[in-house]
Amino acid sequence: MTTTTGRKRFEGFEGRMSGMAVVIVVLSALLCARLWQLQVVEGSVYTKQAEDNRLDYEVIKSPRGIIYGRDETVVLADNRAALDLMLTPAMLRDVDAVSKSASTVAQILQIKTIDLLSGTRDAFKSGVALDEAFPLDDIEEGDRAEVQAFFHAAERVYDVTRQLGEMVGVDPNTIFGNVISAIRRKKPFEQILVKQDISKTERMRVEEYSFALQGVYTVARPQRRYYYGETAGQILGWLNEIDADTLASKRPRYKMGDIIGRDGIEQRYELDLKGYDGAMIVTRYNGSVPQLRTDVHGLPYIEVDSMGRSLALERRQDAIAGKPIFTTLDIELQMECERILRDELLAEDIVDIQAEGAIVVMDADTGELLALASVPTYDPNIFTTQSPDQKQIIDGVIKDPRKPMLHRAFQTHYPPGSVFKVLMAVAALEEGIVDEHTTFSCGGSFRLGSHTWRCWRRGGHGGVAMVDALAFSCDVYFYNVGQRIGPEKLNKWSHMLGLGESTGIDLPREVPGAVPSPEKKAAAAKARKSKNRDDYNWYPGDTINMSIGQGMVDATVLQNAVLMASVMNGGKRVRPHVNLGVGPQVSEKLISDNTLRIVHAGMFKCVDKKQPPSGTGREARIEGLEIIGKTGTAQVAHLSQLKGRKEREVPYELRDHALFVAGVTNMKPRLAVSIIVEHGLHGSTTAAPVAKKIFDYYYKKQKLKGDENAPQEPVNVAMYGGPLE
Amino acid sequence: MSSIHRDLNLLDSHIRTFNYRNLRRIDWFLLGVTFALFAFGLTALYSASQNIGPDASILEIYYVRQFIAFCLGLSIALVVVCIDYRALISLAPAMYIGIVVLLIAVLLFGKEAKGGQHWLSLGGPFNLQPSELSKLALVYSLAWYLSAVKDRIQSIFYFGLTFAIAGGLLLLILAQKDLGTALVLPPVVLTMLYAAGCRKRYLIGIALAGIVAVGTVFATVDKLPLEDYQKNRIKSFWSPDADPLASGYQIIQTKIAVGSGQMWGKGIGKGTQTHLRFLPEFHTDFIFALIAEEMGFVGAVLVICLFALFMLRGVALARDCPDLAGSLLAVGCVTIIGFHVFVNIAITLHLLPITGLPLPFLSYGGSFCVTTMMCVGTLLSVHVRKGFFD
Repeated sequence: MTTTTGRKRFEGFEGRMSGMAVVIVVLSALLCARLWQLQVVEGSVYTKQAEDNRLDYEVIKSPRGIIYGRDETVVLADNRAALDLMLTPAMLRDVDAVSKSASTVAQILQIKTIDLLSGTRDAFKSGVALDEAFPLDDIEEGDRAEVQAFFHAAERVYDVTRQLGEMVGVDPNTIFGNVISAIRRKKPFEQILVKQDISKTERMRVEEYSFALQGVYTVARPQRRYYYGETAGQILGWLNEIDADTLASKRPRYKMGDIIGRDGIEQRYELDLKGYDGAMIVTRYNGSVPQLRTDVHGLPYIEVDSMGRSLALERRQDAIAGKPIFTTLDIELQMECERILRDELLAEDIVDIQAEGAIVVMDADTGELLALASVPTYDPNIFTTQSPDQKQIIDGVIKDPRKPMLHRAFQTHYPPGSVFKVLMAVAALEEGIVDEHTTFSCGGSFRLGSHTWRCWRRGGHGGVAMVDALAFSCDVYFYNVGQRIGPEKLNKWSHMLGLGESTGIDLPREVPGAVPSPEKKAAAAKARKSKNRDDYNWYPGDTINMSIGQGMVDATVLQNAVLMASVMNGGKRVRPHVNLGVGPQVSEKLISDNTLRIVHAGMFKCVDKKQPPSGTGREARIEGLEIIGKTGTAQVAHLSQLKGRKEREVPYELRDHALFVAGVTNMKPRLAVSIIVEHGLHGSTTAAPVAKKIFDYYYKKQKLKGDENAPQEPVNVAMYGGPLE
Repeated sequence: MSSIHRDLNLLDSHIRTFNYRNLRRIDWFLLGVTFALFAFGLTALYSASQNIGPDASILEIYYVRQFIAFCLGLSIALVVVCIDYRALISLAPAMYIGIVVLLIAVLLFGKEAKGGQHWLSLGGPFNLQPSELSKLALVYSLAWYLSAVKDRIQSIFYFGLTFAIAGGLLLLILAQKDLGTALVLPPVVLTMLYAAGCRKRYLIGIALAGIVAVGTVFATVDKLPLEDYQKNRIKSFWSPDADPLASGYQIIQTKIAVGSGQMWGKGIGKGTQTHLRFLPEFHTDFIFALIAEEMGFVGAVLVICLFALFMLRGVALARDCPDLAGSLLAVGCVTIIGFHVFVNIAITLHLLPITGLPLPFLSYGGSFCVTTMMCVGTLLSVHVRKGFFD
């Protein structure tokens, strides 16, 4: 053999091969080192990322807490299952045939699959037969059968959507278009919403044909239901979707799309009612969209994603339902109060147009609000019930000039008028300014400096002491008292009895009202940068105006009720509340028994005195009930605007507000009532009869219910000035 | 067997161009490693096959198809073993001309797939990818050329002529934008030149020129006549997070797949990154990520070690072959496989930008499987004839 065969070993060849071996070993070691770094050193980081990739969290919404009346027999707000009619194209008959043959048929017709599908959709929409939309003249005999099979399948699918559309009143072309779109996007398991919140009849119709409607089903969605509609609308509040700003501060408990309480109990007790969302954690495919279904109990579950791939459930944590709220509301009484304000006053020609006003019915001993009516009211269901004209309905309520969303008992204030005299009386007696026998002479007017203040009774009341001053609401008596007591002491007593500051009711948007003082007057003038010196100085006339609850005094109807309760329950201030769970919150005794006795006597006479001169609250009198009360008339317009006009000829918006506070002292519970009828003219003729109706209704109803709450012995009659009649 | 019989057998096997008796002296070590690697590949593909829809026919399942390809490749390899490699080398010029014709034909009549793969349809399920064959054709051509020029390779002329041979093929492959294959050719040329004993300074010069060229590519990637997807692949290597949904996506998801395998892996068929489709192409170019995810550090290192053993054995075969042409053939085949292995795994581990190179024995793909097995056959063929020179 010669070297030409290559037998000879080449110079350095072995060395070069060793070099290659070294390179191989080094590179392999390098790769292993990199593997060590990625898998062992940083492995846990990537494992976390892989888990984030893999796991999908589907929220299970917590059912919102139920709002009850005083017990479980009355449900004010609960969650009904709104049923959304859904459709999964892949489960619909013949959809499979359409989607499978679409690409073949498109090839035969020499068009794109997308164009075939959208062309099919458009043909049905415009009512053109498929073989006209896609002429088959040039197609070979063998292929023609295939195309026609596709057409027939598409027609059968359209038939199903047409039937379905007719059953629930939805345009079948919309449904069919959605089905075609799902096929085109290769997401046949996508859930298509046919109609939201179908009615019972629609549901029964669909169920009847369920054999022909495979793949059509309902998904339950909890929807707030306010059983009593408008009744107590402002107290219950309403719900809507959380907005981005609110959400920012409420993560992670709240998520995008969550509903949140916007007013009333729904807002105030949001955190109790909300509950805690649960979650389903599923293993998902890249880009997969889990399709949520609900079982017969309305519980959500997930089986597949939009492409029909099954998703494994890793973990399920059920939602924790929101806590129930038991309210203090006697819903029947609430309805009655609203009915009286809304319908009865108009029906009895006490007011000209449908009244606007508020009624507070409170247990004087505990502060429980048995009724808290404000008219007009609104139905909170409108915010959660989807309908085509939902937006207009909501807008109509929000922009209504009658302000139905405003609760007139505590979200706005009025001059208390003569109702303020109750506070005047308490303060004067407690401070020793007057006693039971102190008499002032009323000649129909009161003169101070160059000004003259009139009594409502032009002829005057003659010589009056405290009991009669309250019974007949003598203005001059209280001008005298006011002049003597001064604004500081009035402020002190207002503060003690809850005027000019919030009552602490457990509902949002309460306004504090106002009780003026020299400091507050000056501060207010400074705040609005008034140039008028009169605005900074406190004049004796300011005190006089204040004495009869006019001028700068403002109080809510609820504050009037709290004041009323104080003189009924032995001189304690209560915190009004609508959540039964809050329980009674009662202050120390603030008013002496002697004062209470005198005030009671006056307020009792106000209601009970029939013979002329009769008490201003006589319209509230009920035989057998011991009712004390005080009327009030809050001036709206300046007297000069009304000159010479008869009462019912004064423009509605300039008429006085009619107020009345009253209480029943010999029954259990002792009810304190505070009423306002806006522009109702007179507390005595407009508001007092309302109180009578309320007491009548409530205690009659209670009697019917049985002996448990039957009338009791008159309570502490002696304390209130001896048996009166 | 008596000594005379052995000699006669040897003589017999070398006299005839085709002799099945060569199979008796096959290198079982190399073949064993090949089988082991292929077993890994089938396991990985078995796992990957879970993602195929339930109504797929048996021929659509990855591991079934791969097994068929392997059997085909193994048969071809065994045929190659039986043929005297020197007969094949002597056919190298014809091979070279043939492959050039095919490459031109594919440019004119071929079907193009995404990623620059060009096919010639042979009817039925069979397709021919000439660029695949060009790798082996280059090895044979260079073995023919270098064993003919021998020591004269030290001169700059013959050194340069090598690049002329390789350059023709390279240009044709670049013309069909098959970047992956084009990248294989230069290392094959350099390694074979190195093995043939050219002057080191020439090699170093060429290598430096190559580094400068690669550096220029990275620096001026936007101006190069490359497809957009190729540019993005290069750019996304440096900043995969800049565009995580596009070209960086593959890099990020690959790292997550590899890293989350940790020490022992998630178990066969339990890799979430691959089975939940977060990682595309996991059965072809990124099969190593699937192995790393499901078999962990332990499995991945085992695979690397098997590859290292395969290459070291190939180098040993080259060293032990007394014939320059045979040695060069072995070196060339080891380089083809080694380059694919190192570059593919380095890409998977985010050490190199994505180029689209399959992993020998493991990646799904019939054409490449056949090429790989032809390399194996060549290596075995070189081995069985070494005794003749003793």
